Amino acid sequence: MPKPIRYLLYVAVIVLLAYNSVYFKKLDEVKAGTAAFDAAAYAKDFWEKKLTPGLSKAVELGALTAQLKTEKDKAFEQHSHALGIGNIRYFLVKGQGIVTDVSENEVSVKLADTGESSGNVRIATEYIFGNAVRDASGQIDINAFTNSMDFNNVSAEINKLIRGKVVPPFKSEVKKGDRVAFHGAIELNREHLQLNNIEIIPVSLQIEKP
Amino acid sequence: MYYRIAFFCILLGIGFIGCKTKQSKDEPKKIAIVVSTLNNPWFVFLAQKAEAKAKQLGYESKIFDSQNNTAQETDHFDNAIASGYDAILFNPTDADGSIVNVKNAVAAGVPVFCMDREVNANGAATSQILSDSYSGCVAIGKYFVETLNKKGKYVEILGMVGDNNTWNRSKGFHSVVDFYPGLKMVAQQSADFDRNKAMEVMESILQAHPDIDGVFCGNDAMAMGAYQALVASGKADRVKVFGFDGAEDVVKSIQDGKILATGMQFPEVMAQTAATFADEYFKGKRDFPGKMPVAVELVKKDNVENYAAYGEKE
Repeated sequence: MPKPIRYLLYVAVIVLLAYNSVYFKKLDEVKAGTAAFDAAAYAKDFWEKKLTPGLSKAVELGALTAQLKTEKDKAFEQHSHALGIGNIRYFLVKGQGIVTDVSENEVSVKLADTGESSGNVRIATEYIFGNAVRDASGQIDINAFTNSMDFNNVSAEINKLIRGKVVPPFKSEVKKGDRVAFHGAIELNREHLQLNNIEIIPVSLQIEKP
Repeated sequence: MYYRIAFFCILLGIGFIGCKTKQSKDEPKKIAIVVSTLNNPWFVFLAQKAEAKAKQLGYESKIFDSQNNTAQETDHFDNAIASGYDAILFNPTDADGSIVNVKNAVAAGVPVFCMDREVNANGAATSQILSDSYSGCVAIGKYFVETLNKKGKYVEILGMVGDNNTWNRSKGFHSVVDFYPGLKMVAQQSADFDRNKAMEVMESILQAHPDIDGVFCGNDAMAMGAYQALVASGKADRVKVFGFDGAEDVVKSIQDGKILATGMQFPEVMAQTAATFADEYFKGKRDFPGKMPVAVELVKKDNVENYAAYGEKE
């Protein structure tokens, strides 16, 4: 084979290898890989299509606390959800009660039809943070998310909806002695169970007229 | 004649290689435990618990110390693959730099289960069992806001800036604290998860900002370093210090009222889950969760009696 053709072939092979070895991508495109996830839209969709219809499955809080005292493991098995492993589990709950105190950060409620100390609960109106509402319904699959920060942002957006839609109309009206009805999520520690300090992150709140 | 001798030698060589790498059916499977560093007692605990669980499940295991060096980690992976280890329980040194090691092992048919630290490549490892640092620091952030009563000046001391856990913790904390304009962060500096560095960082910050009210540290070692600096400057009584990990000295300091709170991680749960996943893999299971978060619990004065160091059951 003549030398020029041989060299030409060598060059062609080298160029081909080099071309297939290096890829150029705009940094914007790479960053968009994670930025593409719209946590706010996901949270809104979750709220309307999964969480709100699923509230009918919420467990009565008074009945739940009673069951937790007698059959703790069964109660956690039947009613709690969590996306990971560990002691912290979440419950979707509902109930009614009488407002006993309204403070800057929470509304204290004595649950109806429970004469025990665990019948006193707190509805959070200031510190709406954490994963309770996201995880309590058991309707989100962690493996559907490729990026853990997207997953965390879903919680932040759900909490933003609560701070924006659920809390303000309730907080501006509620007063001591009101009868209220609620749906919400609670966090309990399976290993170190505390039933005398239950905090509800609200999903829906109504002040019932006498 | 020479050809015959050469052929015989090659056969003999192949036979020796076979003897070294092939495992007989009766031999227990082998699990390599590759850990970022054994200089930190937290990782020693993680490795020992993984080893104990592997042994309990009937497997041979060996701990490899990467000494926070990705090149050393690569050597450990190469050795583990060549020596016929059947699974690797892995605590990476670098979220990006360790990806290639994980991919090489998985490509060689050796499943890799990450413990505590993740690699930045979805689907590269067989499964990643990680502390839910973000959520743990959301809980710390909420307690921070409550105890500082929504106002004051504070300092954040970060861990290693290249580590995912550093930022997951910082983001979780700020996802709460940044809601409160009365809380002003006057300094944010890295101390590489190191106690002495945190003490030096805190000393220099205190010179510029002597009137701070709180310090959030990305791990407990740094919380103890920051606390030491505050003691030296006579400000330990009025500045509230928060850590993360659940280390022994911080659990004791919470009991003594020196540190306000920490996020308790559970290295034993992570190590045992990783070893159990390896066992399930050997028995044929393949559908493992890409990431398995392990809940972090807030430890403070009113519940510290429930906790021992590293989340161990007493």
